[in-house]
Amino acid sequence: MATRSPTIGLIANPVSARDIRRVVANANNLQIADRVNIVLRVLAAAGSCGVERVLMMPDKGGISAMLSRSLARERGLNHHFPDVQFLDMDVCSTVEDTFGATRRLRAAGVAAIVVLGGDGTHRAVARECGDVPIAGISTGTNNAFPEMREPTITGMAVGLYASGRLSDGQALSPNKILDVVVDGRHRDVALVDAVISTDRYVGARALWRTETLRSLYVTYADPGAIGMSAIAGLLEPVGRREPGGCAVELCPTSESPKWSLLAPIAPGMVRPVGISGWQRMGADQAFRVGHQAGVVALDGERELAFDPGDVVTVTLRENAFRTLDVSRCLHLAAADGLFRVSAP
Amino acid sequence: MARKISIKDAINEALDQEMARDPSVIVMGEDIVGGAGSPGERDAWGGVLGVTKGLYAKYPDRLLDTPLSESAYVGAAIGAACSGMRPVAELMFIDFMGVCFDQIFNQAAKFKYMFGGKAETPVVIRTMVGAGFRAAAQHSQMLTPIFTHIPGLKVVCPSTPYDAKGLLIQSIRDNDPVIFCEHKALYGLEGDVPEAPYAIPLGEAAVVREGRSCSIVTYGMMVHRSMDAAAALAKEGVDCEVVDLRSLSPLDLDTVIESVEKTGRLVCVDEANPRCSIAADISAQVAQRAFPALRAQIEMVTAPHTPVPFSPVLEDLYIPGAKQIAEAVHRALSGARS
Amino acid sequence: MSTDPLPLKKEDLLRAYRTMRTIREFEERLHVDFARGDIPGFVHLYAGEEAAATGIMLHLGDGDRIASTHRGHGHCIAKGVDVAQMMMEIYGKKGGACQGKGGSMHIADLDRGMMGANGILGAGAPLACGAALAAKYRKRGEVAISFVGDGASNQGMFLESLNLAAVWNLPAIFVVENNGYAESTSRDYAVAVDSYVDRAAGFGLPGVTVDGTDFFAVCEAAGEVIQRARAGGGPGLLECKMIRFFGHFEGDQQAYRGKGEVDDIRANQDCIRKFSAQVIGAGVVKPAELETIDKEARDVIDRAVAEAKAAPAPTAPDLLTDVYVRY
Repeated sequence: MATRSPTIGLIANPVSARDIRRVVANANNLQIADRVNIVLRVLAAAGSCGVERVLMMPDKGGISAMLSRSLARERGLNHHFPDVQFLDMDVCSTVEDTFGATRRLRAAGVAAIVVLGGDGTHRAVARECGDVPIAGISTGTNNAFPEMREPTITGMAVGLYASGRLSDGQALSPNKILDVVVDGRHRDVALVDAVISTDRYVGARALWRTETLRSLYVTYADPGAIGMSAIAGLLEPVGRREPGGCAVELCPTSESPKWSLLAPIAPGMVRPVGISGWQRMGADQAFRVGHQAGVVALDGERELAFDPGDVVTVTLRENAFRTLDVSRCLHLAAADGLFRVSAP
Repeated sequence: MARKISIKDAINEALDQEMARDPSVIVMGEDIVGGAGSPGERDAWGGVLGVTKGLYAKYPDRLLDTPLSESAYVGAAIGAACSGMRPVAELMFIDFMGVCFDQIFNQAAKFKYMFGGKAETPVVIRTMVGAGFRAAAQHSQMLTPIFTHIPGLKVVCPSTPYDAKGLLIQSIRDNDPVIFCEHKALYGLEGDVPEAPYAIPLGEAAVVREGRSCSIVTYGMMVHRSMDAAAALAKEGVDCEVVDLRSLSPLDLDTVIESVEKTGRLVCVDEANPRCSIAADISAQVAQRAFPALRAQIEMVTAPHTPVPFSPVLEDLYIPGAKQIAEAVHRALSGARS
Repeated sequence: MSTDPLPLKKEDLLRAYRTMRTIREFEERLHVDFARGDIPGFVHLYAGEEAAATGIMLHLGDGDRIASTHRGHGHCIAKGVDVAQMMMEIYGKKGGACQGKGGSMHIADLDRGMMGANGILGAGAPLACGAALAAKYRKRGEVAISFVGDGASNQGMFLESLNLAAVWNLPAIFVVENNGYAESTSRDYAVAVDSYVDRAAGFGLPGVTVDGTDFFAVCEAAGEVIQRARAGGGPGLLECKMIRFFGHFEGDQQAYRGKGEVDDIRANQDCIRKFSAQVIGAGVVKPAELETIDKEARDVIDRAVAEAKAAPAPTAPDLLTDVYVRY
């Protein structure tokens, strides 16, 4: 079994779960204090399971400051925590911080990156992480990509993997991704869904006006998720580890679509969506976006505006990045007695 | 038709009649109804001493209980006054002014002037003043001088049920911010009050006892102590004139001057602490304007320069009484200018 | 379904640009004239923050009220206060918005729903609650907005106002203009947890954080929060992360800023430049149209300064007027 350096990376986004869905839908707010508490749980658990060093993304949104105060307090009480070091980088309080932190963590050779954020944060990390696996914790508005799981357990799984007690084959799972290309140039990715909206501006980013939606492409479709992918999930479920994805054509309910689907598009918001048709997406099949002009929303956030004449394609790619399968790790730990120590 | 009612009931009636007349009058304060959100009775209190009881049943959407949050709700009353309403906010005890004073002295008081004349802030802040309840240092003060000092505020302090109703009605109708002071020890005092609404202009003092020997100028509960002193002095042949200021700002100095020009002697009686008190203010203004009329030094009778003590023995010493006032009159009578 | 590439029609986009450019030219001109010694007292400039005031005020009418901060010129202009009267006021002249008796920090125009810039930080929050209470009684769907900065967000009366607005379900919106500095003190020091959405959530109000230098983000988010309040949905909080170009007050050497910080934000975070790029890039507006507005705005400011310099000062009797409605 390869021994890995027991250093992990941690990226906690202070500005996820702050957008307009708190006003237009019933999305909740996750306080900075709660996010710091999640980080502390992860750190404590990972530390107990062999992680000695954590490299963390700095932020000016309150997490780093409060975490530093909390760690000083914990160490003052003689509680064991891994050594936490903040990356030496400027903070601009945009997604650039996440890109930059991920690149630096990859260069530093961390065993895995723990991510606290929503789909958007995980997407930013996945874009830059290369081979470094991600252990995601949901602190965003949607729960489509990162699992809902007690952070302490995630910390334990990360510790098991980072300290080399589980192999890549045992601990990691492959993930699909969508590549978005405009006029031949690769522009961005989506982990779960890419949506074409007739809005032609980024604005407040979130999607909630269903009458503007025209096409939806998903890497997987879980009927138990919320967000745009739920639309596909409630039509034709596709598992995370199943090959291929799904493409759905949407239209306004006012234009008498073939079907109308009731879908949970945001927390506390279940709306009818007009469906013209859908099909499976195979790997490496470029789907040309039919709509003339609009904006491509990636994992629930408007990102790329495009104009008439722009050629936009969405292509599903398999084995794009790896994630830690926390459940599998803990089951293996139980089966192999990894946490069980016999009396001497 | 006048009948005998208490100051408490006179205030209640003024609020009732103005709310009936003008839908823009709203009343807010802590526990002015009482029982908000509680499982028991609504209108459980009607104000901590019951002054606003019964109004909620008549005007349920215009009586607002507030959280314990003076700077927010006094500020909100002021903001609503700038926006076309006539709020009457209760600052339960004038001693609480510290937690909301900015809204009163930097905001409400200054809008008309700072905004070049365009703003009107017709807010009334009703507040309890005075000692005698054994309520101790933080619930017994007479802080009228602090508000009187501020340009842009009006300050009113009635001593009788008749004055209380008429002055409150006028305060509500007034287009400037008014601090309406209610002496907590006078709520039960009864007097003749007409049933119909009436308004007493602000800035008018009342000569409540005519006399030739000495002018006693005062306000609030001290009017009654001064009347007690005057009654005792009358037996000695000393005939005091008692002037109830009623309105501290605007101040009816003319009535005071007229009285001093008649009697030649002045005793200012004030329940406030002595430094920068109303007594000091009146004394200085009279000395400046009517010095030739004065036949002796001006006397001031005030509380001492201490917080209000708790122990009943001490509180009774703190509050100026008829005896101290009479002694001051004697000093004014025996003193002489060379 | 709109085929417009942007959420506003061209005329509204040009109007928004004109407002932002007018604010920018007004503030930049004051910066120059203050340094020359032409202007008495203190001024606090809003340059760099234009997108916030404009994106929010776009949704308001004269019946809606705002309570501003000491840094109020941008709010005044966006709310429709006359620019010439504002300049006269800043010069302390008769005929100014407050007849020369308020100055820069107290400009108000109640007819336009502008309840005043305020020298007491946080004091506008309770006042806005009051205006919202009055709006609730009037039943015309009007709202009131309180602007505070990251510094003033620590003031007790601001926090009390969040609670009061929630308890009384007021159509009140609290906008935190988070530019990172309270005078010379960074919010990294003074604000224990730099999230005003968290504070609002603590009192049960929904909150949204947007990039305050992105006009369209502010406009869209503000629109939703305001609409919700108009419809009886109660109070909300909008946090605009932004930057200010100038110091706390004019004369502030800004020694507390990082090296090159101001140059960097002027180059990379200019909200007007971002707006221009977006509207030109979407093909809705031509550069020449914006250049015309730039010139017109400069002319308006030039005329305002000339008028202000020529206007008479108040006279001795003016000292004593307007203390009361009637004394």
